[in-house]
Amino acid sequence: MPGATLLRAEPVSLVAAGAVTPFGADLDAFWSGLVTGSDGISAIERFPVHDLRVGRGGEIKKLRPLPGARRVSCRATQLLLAAAEDLLARAPIYAEPERIAVVLGTALGGVGELERAMAPGGRPRHAVDALYDSPAHALARRLGARGPVMTVAAACAAGATALGTGADLLRADVVDVVIAGGYDALCRFVMRGFDALRSLTRERVRPFDRRRSGLLLGEAAALVLMTREGAVPGPRLGRLLGHASASDGSHIAAPDANGRGLELAARTALDEAGLTAADVDFVSAHGTGTLVNDRIEADVLRRVLGRRASEIPVNSIKGSLGHTMGAAAALEAVMCLMAGRDGIVPKTLGLEEPDPVCELDHVIGAPRAARPRISLSTSLGFGGCNAALVLEAVDP
Amino acid sequence: MSVVAPAKTRAGVAVEGIAVLTGWGQGIQALPADAARAAAGRAVISLPRPELEGERFRRATRECLLGVAVVDTLLREHHIARDTVRGSATALIYVTGGAYGASNHAWVAADTARPAEPDDRSGERRRSVSGTLHFPYTAPSVMSGEVAIEFGLTGPYGILIGGAAATIDGLWQATVLLAAGRCERALVLAVETFEDCAELYARGRWLVKRPLVEAAACVLLTAGGLRTRYDAPQAPSALEARVRARAGETLACAPLIALALAREDSATGPIGVTGEWRGRRAGLYWH
Repeated sequence: MPGATLLRAEPVSLVAAGAVTPFGADLDAFWSGLVTGSDGISAIERFPVHDLRVGRGGEIKKLRPLPGARRVSCRATQLLLAAAEDLLARAPIYAEPERIAVVLGTALGGVGELERAMAPGGRPRHAVDALYDSPAHALARRLGARGPVMTVAAACAAGATALGTGADLLRADVVDVVIAGGYDALCRFVMRGFDALRSLTRERVRPFDRRRSGLLLGEAAALVLMTREGAVPGPRLGRLLGHASASDGSHIAAPDANGRGLELAARTALDEAGLTAADVDFVSAHGTGTLVNDRIEADVLRRVLGRRASEIPVNSIKGSLGHTMGAAAALEAVMCLMAGRDGIVPKTLGLEEPDPVCELDHVIGAPRAARPRISLSTSLGFGGCNAALVLEAVDP
Repeated sequence: MSVVAPAKTRAGVAVEGIAVLTGWGQGIQALPADAARAAAGRAVISLPRPELEGERFRRATRECLLGVAVVDTLLREHHIARDTVRGSATALIYVTGGAYGASNHAWVAADTARPAEPDDRSGERRRSVSGTLHFPYTAPSVMSGEVAIEFGLTGPYGILIGGAAATIDGLWQATVLLAAGRCERALVLAVETFEDCAELYARGRWLVKRPLVEAAACVLLTAGGLRTRYDAPQAPSALEARVRARAGETLACAPLIALALAREDSATGPIGVTGEWRGRRAGLYWH
């Protein structure tokens, strides 16, 4: 594995994607669910929630059995392997095992297994699967990947940071193929946490709406196959042109009051892409539906986009799927590229009366006919993590 | 429209400072010659909770405080002013194999201690056990977030989960950030705690060796003359073996302890650090 450290700062190809979401077991279900304005939120059935204020979320009700796989008990790993099956059905991996890397973002890893291990009558051996990097190693084994296996735990910005790290591995010629993305599974651990924080809404998720009252959580996994530009012949989804991250350094669980970290990440990602706000056609916002996050994010986007803020469509898919945490940014990146491919931008489900303090060109009521070529995707997470991706869709 | 990224590249890195805290004491001079012998049968060699002043630290977890303490140690020992690292020009790369375990374990224990009762619809009893302050600390990113807050670090971040191989990945990430001009300094920080989950680690002996030695270590890198090679060696470097013998099992901290040992040796030639985790060994060579 000959190494090099000088980045060539070249665009990286996103060849194909695979996903499992509350809408269904593959990428097509994800995309059609978004375009048709489906609601992936339902009552959580897989674990007890009767004692919580809110017991709804974007739960995946059914997973396809994994062909040829031995039984996997960890829910997070199940989601990852299901997304991988979808990805591999669309784009086989041609590379030496040592030249394949796995880079995954997660907020929770396999922590659901810790609950099982510590439950009355639980088996302590499950605790090993609870390590946050266990699902990534399980996926690497499944893929036969023997290059770097990285787990990025940047909370709800992790998926974006993972795609950026994957791009860096390719640019530095450390590997030839990166399977990157994000995942997280719903479990009591996280539901109790956000319930205790009073972050969950009892109503519906309404990103940027004047009636917004909080988020709902969801579970998903999304993977993309990344290569250097031109390394794989044939069609591709698009390109990652730039990425950046920045710490707030201000609060452990709330965004910086002025959104300085998010602004720096967005501006740096555009800079790395060699672009400016004038080039941006579409923004996939983090848009959780919480009072503070949405206001701060809208402020940041107005500053970054400048005079064009009122004419660049913005959406959030968290009203449709819930906040899928580590998977969110990866799903949103894929959504950006599919919007460019199909010439349609999904609406923000739940947004009906935009809050004046969140004024942007929101996609409301129905999907919008538009073919965004350059997209900016923004993400925030616990610990003051902020990340941004700049993506380019390919011509259909 | 240009799609060519700015060509802001600089070659190589320099090590500005290293700090190490372990269950054996402060600095590598506290390491025994033979960790296994020094452990005398103890499974875990613990680090005490650092005594740090400030209201914010009253509620912070031990692993957060250890991270803050070791970075503070680095700055003091190397006479680096806090203002030097403050701001967006400093990247923070945090790596851990399991320091989030204690907070995760406590959060689950608070739930399983009182099994859900069908009539407990208000959830008030459970919330009294598991307050709102505790949950955010279950996220590994909050550990690095506390360090970022304390030292005003607002540059790029990396948060990697894994043992020693992940720290090699983190060191490589730092060199990439420096080489691309995305930062002027990169602080690579690793923290490992075991005491609170000792019984669970006892079940994973195939994964971790004994003695488990709690540790926090960090290195501050700047642009400099050391060229980097990042690869996947088959065998451990001499430094990796030496760290395991002298420090014990320190997971993600091991490569940083190795760098400190190399410095102690006044190494002027190439430095090679390797690290293994879950069957994968990564190596980083500065020459």
